[in-house]
Amino acid sequence: MIKVNNLTKSFSQTKKPAVDDISFEVESGKIACIIGTSGCGKTTTLKMINKLVTPTSGDIYVNSLSCLGHDDVQWRRSIGYVVQKAGLLPHLNVFDNISLLANIKKRDKKQIKERITYLMNIINMQDIDFLERYPKELSGGQQQRVGIARALMENPSVLLMDEPFGALDPITRGSLHEELLNLNRELKKTILIVTHDISEAFKLGDQIILMDNGKIIQSGSADDFRDRPVNLMVKNFIQGQLND
Amino acid sequence: MIKIVIIILLGQFSLNGICRDKIVIGSKNFTESFILAQMLALLIEDSTNLKVEKKLGLGGTKVAFDALKNGAIDVYPDYSGTGYSMILKKKEILSPVDTYQIVKKEFTEKWGINWSKSLGFNNTYALAVRKNDARFEKIKKISQLSNKVEKLKYAAPHEFMERQDGHRGFSQSYSLNFASNNITAMQSGLMYSAIEDANVDLIIVYSTDGRIKNFNLKLLEDDKSFFPPYQVSYLVGKKVYDDIPALRKIISKLEGVISEKEMINMNYQVDFYKKSPRQVAYEFLKKKQLIDLDFKFANNTDGLFAYLKSKKQYLVKILKEHLILSFGTLFFSFIISILVGILLTRYKYLAKITFPFINTIQTIPSLALLGFLIPIFGIGTIPAIVALFLYSLLPLIRNTYVGIQSIDKDLIEAARGVGLTNFQILKLVEIPLALPVIFAGLRTASVIVIGTATLAALIGAGGLGDPIFRGVATVDSKLILLGAIPAALLAIISDKVFALIESRCVSDGIKN
Repeated sequence: MIKVNNLTKSFSQTKKPAVDDISFEVESGKIACIIGTSGCGKTTTLKMINKLVTPTSGDIYVNSLSCLGHDDVQWRRSIGYVVQKAGLLPHLNVFDNISLLANIKKRDKKQIKERITYLMNIINMQDIDFLERYPKELSGGQQQRVGIARALMENPSVLLMDEPFGALDPITRGSLHEELLNLNRELKKTILIVTHDISEAFKLGDQIILMDNGKIIQSGSADDFRDRPVNLMVKNFIQGQLND
Repeated sequence: MIKIVIIILLGQFSLNGICRDKIVIGSKNFTESFILAQMLALLIEDSTNLKVEKKLGLGGTKVAFDALKNGAIDVYPDYSGTGYSMILKKKEILSPVDTYQIVKKEFTEKWGINWSKSLGFNNTYALAVRKNDARFEKIKKISQLSNKVEKLKYAAPHEFMERQDGHRGFSQSYSLNFASNNITAMQSGLMYSAIEDANVDLIIVYSTDGRIKNFNLKLLEDDKSFFPPYQVSYLVGKKVYDDIPALRKIISKLEGVISEKEMINMNYQVDFYKKSPRQVAYEFLKKKQLIDLDFKFANNTDGLFAYLKSKKQYLVKILKEHLILSFGTLFFSFIISILVGILLTRYKYLAKITFPFINTIQTIPSLALLGFLIPIFGIGTIPAIVALFLYSLLPLIRNTYVGIQSIDKDLIEAARGVGLTNFQILKLVEIPLALPVIFAGLRTASVIVIGTATLAALIGAGGLGDPIFRGVATVDSKLILLGAIPAALLAIISDKVFALIESRCVSDGIKN
């Protein structure tokens, strides 16, 4: 479960806030998508939930725990985090990338190996021996799968994904969408995805949050957006993108 | 580890100030100075139990005199005229006796430095031309050249160009109207080859230089007595003068015993027959029955193999010195530069102050930098390491800084998002990714340091520069190569070794 209460972020005193007093909740095991144009505050919101950006005011709960009073590093380690272009470390091979945090935590080598074998099955990369390869030897889709495996390594209940499929070609993106949905059916993670692609949001999101100028304009299911857009701007945004 | 090295270095540095069982003899970097220093060394070894340490080939009067003043050396030979005009900055030309009396008195009063009596001969500056140069056939005196030298090419040592009694006064006094693009300042050893090949027509030489005979030159008479008398004495630092009375007695054995002809011949033995200054000094002392010891010297005209064999001990010594200088410096500056480089990526405003500063250091000519450091650190290994350290900072700090700075910011944020602490990001992400750039800096620094370390010889720190500068001073190419070849090989090998270490340390994932 992710819950956000009256969250605000101002980067400077003079400009208007990047994120302006927003509240929403994502139920356990559901996928939510924050959507909006660039500069709408969606990425800042995600980074605040992961404590990469400190909120000006407001509170964040993950599984009923408040982010206030939690150590930043421990907080981030309890959450899976996936970014655009995967954010894999180029000097580490796939195995070392996935086990980065587990190694820091000095987990048992055998357990790490078993867990990684399991995760490679989950991301459909079990066939060839990918573990020895470096990121530059993988395709964009494969890199993104490894990024997801890394986020799942410590078995967090919550996954945050920042434009995870943005840099991929449409075919790879489509198949990764299916894989993510399957994965969620199996693992029941609470997932928050930031995207600018409305069709991706419609396909993946149990819940869609549309942001503009730091505020939430509409929040609800795909049907709500299609059938009951709250205003003309929302209607135009959806239609403009779906017609592309 | 660092502590131990510092203690050893400081220990070596301060020991000769405290204990008086050792005498440090210096010399400037030309043949005569080498011979006179060796002569004193031989006599001390012969008649006392004192340990003799030699800091020969110091790069100029300023270096040698500063070293004597601050106790880095105890004694070195110099000339009354040099002390009179260059150090005391006096202009009026006096008789040899008066000149000597003034320097003796003023040096004692000002710095407590004692001048021995003159060793005998006068070695002043002189103007030399080729004997077979038809243009000078009828010219015997310098004054005959007045207003007739516009088209002639003229070279003089750097020191002469700068001195009070040097080029400016000389050319004015005789109305020598050289065209400004015909005047060249040159290392004195190189001037002789230049005049032999007719690249220059007139050169300023020392009147006792053996190469005058060797290169078939003739001297023009200083008929206006422009040059002050240059009688050589040993200059003895105050402390050692008081502490070791025996030294006074030893020096007095040499006072007045060397004639001009004998000195010219000794210089000739070194410059032409390539005998070592020590051997020539020894043979002179033997002839004068001033020494009891028997030494054997290798013959310098032997084949290459025999030559190298005779120099083996020396080569091992200077190679060791060079390795300590270069890699000692690299060790310290690598550690410090990595830390500073990392610090600068954290506090960018510091980078704005630091880089102009270390860029400026890089532009200071190496000899000038060594000159600045002598008043602070004296001469020898310490100022040399400090100078090399300063030179190695730029490539190392800059590459560390740029290496870390150029890492994709999104990658750092992704690592932070995964839950790495700042230190883990540094250790597991930034340093491994910056390694190729840091190694490039280390390789550049190692080549700079190994090359520049040859200059350390000019301030008495030894190393492979020692034979290079001695060889240049005494026109001995074998000796030059003895230093130059190992220095070049060392630079190449260290570059290759660092490249090998680099390929071991850098992940395959970020290699091209």
